[in-house]
Amino acid sequence: MTIRLDDLTVNFDERFQLNNINWQLEDDQHWVVTGANGSGKSALAAVLAGAGEIVSGNLQGVPPRVGLVSFEAQAELIAAELKKDDADIMDVIAEGTPVREILLQPGSDAALVDELVEKFGLSALMDRAFRKLSTGESRKMMLIRALASQPDLLVLDEPFDGLDAATLAMLQQYLASLVETIPMVLVLNRFDEFPDFISHIAYVDKGRLAHQVARNDETAYAELYKLLHLKTTELEVPAADPETAIPALDPTQPLVKLNGINIRYGDTTVIGDLDWTIEPGKHWQLSGPNGSGKTGLLSLITGDHPQCYVNDIFVFGFKRGSGESIWQIKQFIGYVSTSLQWEYSVGTGLRNVIISGFYDSIGLYTKATERQKQIADQWLALLGMSERADEPFNKLSYGDQRLLLIARAMVKHPPLLILDEPCLGLDDMNRQLVLALIEKICADSETTVLYVNHHPEDQIKGIDNYLELDKR
Amino acid sequence: MSNNYFNTLPLREQLEQLGKCRFMTMDEFDDGVEALKGKKMVVIGCGAQGLAQGMNLRDSGCDVSYALREAAIAEKRQSWKNATENGFVVGTYEELIPTADVVLNLTPDKQHTPVVNAVMPLMKEGACLSYSHGFNIVEEGMKIRDDLTVIMVAPKCPGSEVRNEYVRGFGVPTLIAVHEDNDPKGEGLALAKAYAVGTGGHKAGVLMSSFIAEVKSDLMGEQTILCGMLQTGSLLCFDKMVEEGIEPGYASKLIQYGWETITEALKYGGVTNMLDRLSNPAKIKAFDLAEELKQIMRPLYNKHQDDIIDGTFSRVMMEDWANDDKNLLGWRAETAETAFEKTPAGDVEISEQEYFDKGILMVAMVKAGVELAFETMTAAGIIADSAYYESLHETPLIANTIARKKLYEMNATISDTAEYGCYLYNHACLPLLADFMKDIKTDVIGKGLELEDTGVDNARLIEVNAALRAHPVEAIGATLRGHMADMKKIV
Ligand SMILES: NC(=O)c1ccc[n+]([C@@H]2O[C@H](COP(=O)([O-])OP(=O)(O)OC[C@H]3O[C@@H](n4cnc5c(N)ncnc54)[C@H](OP(=O)(O)O)[C@@H]3O)[C@@H](O)[C@H]2O)c1
Repeated sequence: MTIRLDDLTVNFDERFQLNNINWQLEDDQHWVVTGANGSGKSALAAVLAGAGEIVSGNLQGVPPRVGLVSFEAQAELIAAELKKDDADIMDVIAEGTPVREILLQPGSDAALVDELVEKFGLSALMDRAFRKLSTGESRKMMLIRALASQPDLLVLDEPFDGLDAATLAMLQQYLASLVETIPMVLVLNRFDEFPDFISHIAYVDKGRLAHQVARNDETAYAELYKLLHLKTTELEVPAADPETAIPALDPTQPLVKLNGINIRYGDTTVIGDLDWTIEPGKHWQLSGPNGSGKTGLLSLITGDHPQCYVNDIFVFGFKRGSGESIWQIKQFIGYVSTSLQWEYSVGTGLRNVIISGFYDSIGLYTKATERQKQIADQWLALLGMSERADEPFNKLSYGDQRLLLIARAMVKHPPLLILDEPCLGLDDMNRQLVLALIEKICADSETTVLYVNHHPEDQIKGIDNYLELDKR
Repeated sequence: MSNNYFNTLPLREQLEQLGKCRFMTMDEFDDGVEALKGKKMVVIGCGAQGLAQGMNLRDSGCDVSYALREAAIAEKRQSWKNATENGFVVGTYEELIPTADVVLNLTPDKQHTPVVNAVMPLMKEGACLSYSHGFNIVEEGMKIRDDLTVIMVAPKCPGSEVRNEYVRGFGVPTLIAVHEDNDPKGEGLALAKAYAVGTGGHKAGVLMSSFIAEVKSDLMGEQTILCGMLQTGSLLCFDKMVEEGIEPGYASKLIQYGWETITEALKYGGVTNMLDRLSNPAKIKAFDLAEELKQIMRPLYNKHQDDIIDGTFSRVMMEDWANDDKNLLGWRAETAETAFEKTPAGDVEISEQEYFDKGILMVAMVKAGVELAFETMTAAGIIADSAYYESLHETPLIANTIARKKLYEMNATISDTAEYGCYLYNHACLPLLADFMKDIKTDVIGKGLELEDTGVDNARLIEVNAALRAHPVEAIGATLRGHMADMKKIV
C-alpha cells in the first residue's frame, strides 16, 4: 500500500513546523530520512506514526500498526512510568512496570520478544522495572518492542545510536532479514550507517523535504553525501597559517573606497560616477542584471581590470596606481567566480589547488610548507574530500570544483572574500552545498563578504548591505 | 649599411660571449622591481610583446606609458587601441621619450634601425634602452650613444603567454643580458633583473646570457626545429599520405593537430616521454627513423648554424629587406599554395593516442630536429640551458600555432626573421629528404604499424631506451623543467 503525503504541513509546537511535504513511499521501498540537527528529519518520520497536528494537506495510506522507535517515544514512555510513581505515592515504594510487561503489548509476538531479548543479551533484565534501566538498555528494549509488535511499517529514529559494534551488526542483519516483509523508514545521520537495503533517501532541510534521491543514482547520492557532511559535521573552518600571515590593516580604514568611478568601453559607459565604500565587517550583496557591470566593478577592486589605473580607487591602504603591485592587493582578497573556474583548468591535485590560495596563483609554483599542507588537508576534511587530495582538479564535477575554489579563496582568511555568483551553473543540490559552506565561513571567520547574487532563494544569513546596479 | 657587431669581435671574445649563460637563482631577484621604482618606462610599439610586457610591468607597480609613431596615433591603429583601451598614457616620441628613464623597444626587429635612430636623440642623458631580441645590436651593429645603458629582457614565449602566465601568478622563462659596450653606470644587470621580475619571468626561470648568445641561438632554433622542421615535415607527411591513398581530410587533420599533440608530451618529460607514448615496436621504429634523419640532415643544421654565426644569414635576409621583401613574400605565397595548406582538416575523430600511433614519422622528425638543433648549438659554443629553451622548450608553443590555422598561422605569429629562416630551411630540406621519403609507407605515417604481436627484442629495447635517456638535451631538460615546478600541469 502506498503512503502519500500531499502538500502536507504539520505543526509540532509553536516552534516547529514541517512545510508542504510531498512524499510517496511504496511497499517495496526502504527509506532513510536524513538532514542536519534541527532540520525536522525526526519530525517527518514521526508524522508517519501520527505525531504532530496536520495544518493543511493530506496524509494517506499510513497502515494501522506502525512500530516506532525514537528518543521522543522513549522519553514519553519513561515519563509515563515516572508519573505512575507519583500516582502510587502512598507508602509503598513503587517498583514501576517490569520490562516484560512493557515489551508484550497486545498483538505482539511473544516468541519473537524472547528471541530478540536473547539476541540483544538482555534476558537478565526482563523482570527489572523499565524505569530502572540505563538509557542504552531501555533503548534496546524499545527496539525489541517495536520489532515484535508485528508492524506493517517500521519507523526507527537513530536505531543504531549508542550500540556496541556487535549489537549493531546483529541489528543490521536482523533488519535486513525483514526487507521482504516490512517497509522501513530509518532516520539516520551518518552515511556510513545506511544499511545496504536502503532504496531511497529523503533529505530534510529547515522543515522541508529538500531532496529525494534513489540509492542507485550514484551522482546524486555522492552529492547528498557531501551536503550531509557539511551540514552535520562539527568541523570548523580551518585556521589561517601564521607563517603566511597577511599584513595587518588599519581597522579604522575602509577595505575599499571607490570615488566616482567609471568603466567605459569605447563610447559606452557601463558604470558611471559610482561611489562605494566597504567597511570591514560589513557584508555586502551586489546585484544587477547582466551587463550592468557587476563583474567589471569587482575586477576594479581585485586589480584585474586595466581601468583600475584610470579611476580613483583606494584598496587595503593603497591608492591604485601609486607603485603598488597587484599581488600586494590580491593578498587581501579571496575570490571565486565562474570565470575563475574556467581559467582554473589545471590538472593539479586538489590539495595543491587549495594551497594555491596562499599565493593567489592559478596552479602552484612554489613549494608548499608542511603547515600549508596540513591546513589544506583540514579544508579537504571539511569538504568531505580527504581521500581525494591528489586527484586532478579538472576531473572533478563542476559543483565540487566550485567548493574547492571557495576553500582556496578562504584558506588564507582574507579580509575580503568576493563571491561572484557562486551558485551560477550549479544544480539545486550543489547550490545548497555551496551556500552551506559560505554560511559556515560567514559564521566562523572575520572575513568581510562581498556576495554577488540575484536569486532571492540564494540569500545568505548575515549579509545586510545592498548595492544594486542598473543596466545602462 | 649595417655592420655585423659579432664579426668585429676577436675570436676569444666571440667564444666568451657565445658561452655566456647561467641559470639564475631565485634569491638573486630578492630586490624585486626596486631598481625600476620611481622610473618612467616608455614602451615603443604596442603589439604582441609591447602590450603584454607593459601590462605585466604596470601590474607589478611600474610606471608604464607608450610612445607610438605618429601614424599609429592619427589613424587609431590597433597598437593605439591596445594601449588606450587598457588605460595607458599614449604619446608621440617627442612627448614621451625625453621623460623616459627606460625605453623599451618592442617594435618588429626589421624596424629597429629606423626606430632607434629616431628615438635615440630624444633620450635623456644616462637613460636605458632595452630590447627583447638582440638582432639590431648583434647583426646590424647598431651603435648606441655612450651614455645610455643597453639591456635585453627576452621572454621565451609569445606575448599572449607572457600575459596569461603572469595573470596566473607565474611567468615565462626569460633570458636577460647587458650589452657590455653600453653599461656606463654598471646598472644594466640590476635594471634587467627588475624588469624580469616586473614581467613575472623570475618565477619561471631566468637565464643570464649575452646579446650574442641570445641572437645566435634564437635564430638557429626558430629556423630549424621550431618552424622549419615542422613546415617541411607537414608538407612531406601530407603528400606521402595522399600518395599512399589516405583520405586527404584525415591526413590534413593528423598533421595539423598531430604536432601539437605529440609535442605536448615534450613538456612533461622531453623526447623520452614523447617516444614512451609509442608501443615498443613503434618506439624502436621511430628511433631508427630519427637516427637516419639525423644523419641526412646534420649537414643542413650545421650550415644554418654556420651561416648564423658568420652573419651570412642576416646579410642575405637584410638584402631581401632592402629589396622590399621580395623573397619573403614570394615564399609566403608559395606556402599558401601547398596541398597541405589547401586541404581542410576532415571531420573525423582522432584520439590523442592515435596521433602518436599513426604519426611515428612525425615523432621521429621532432626527435631528430630537437636533438640536431641542440647538438649543433652546443657544438657552436652555446650553453645547454640556452640551447634547450631555443629548441625543445619552444617546440610545443610553435606546434600550437599550426593546430590553430596550419602553416599560415605559424608564419604569421613568428617574426619575419623566423619566417624567412623557416622558408630557407624548408627549401633546402625538402630535396634533402626526397630519397628518404621514397621508402616511407603508411605504417609510419597515416596507418600505424597495425601489428598482431607487439613483441620486441629485449636487448634492442633496452639499447633504445638507454640511448633516448642518455641524450644531453634530456638531462638539462629535466633540470630546467624541475625549476618550472608546476608549469607542466597548467599549460
Ligand atoms: N613575438 C614573440 O614571440 C617574441 C618573443 C620574444 C621577443 N620578441 C621580440 O619582441 C619585439 C617585438 O615583437 P612583437 O612580436 O611584439 O611585434 P609586433 O606584434 O609586430 O608589434 C610591433 C609593434 O610595433 C609597432 N611598429 C611597427 N613598425 C613600427 C615602426 N616602424 N615604428 C614604430 N613602431 C612600429 C607596431 O604598431 P603600429 O604598426 O601600429 O605602429 C606594433 O604595435 C621584437 O624585437 C621581437 O623579436 C618577440
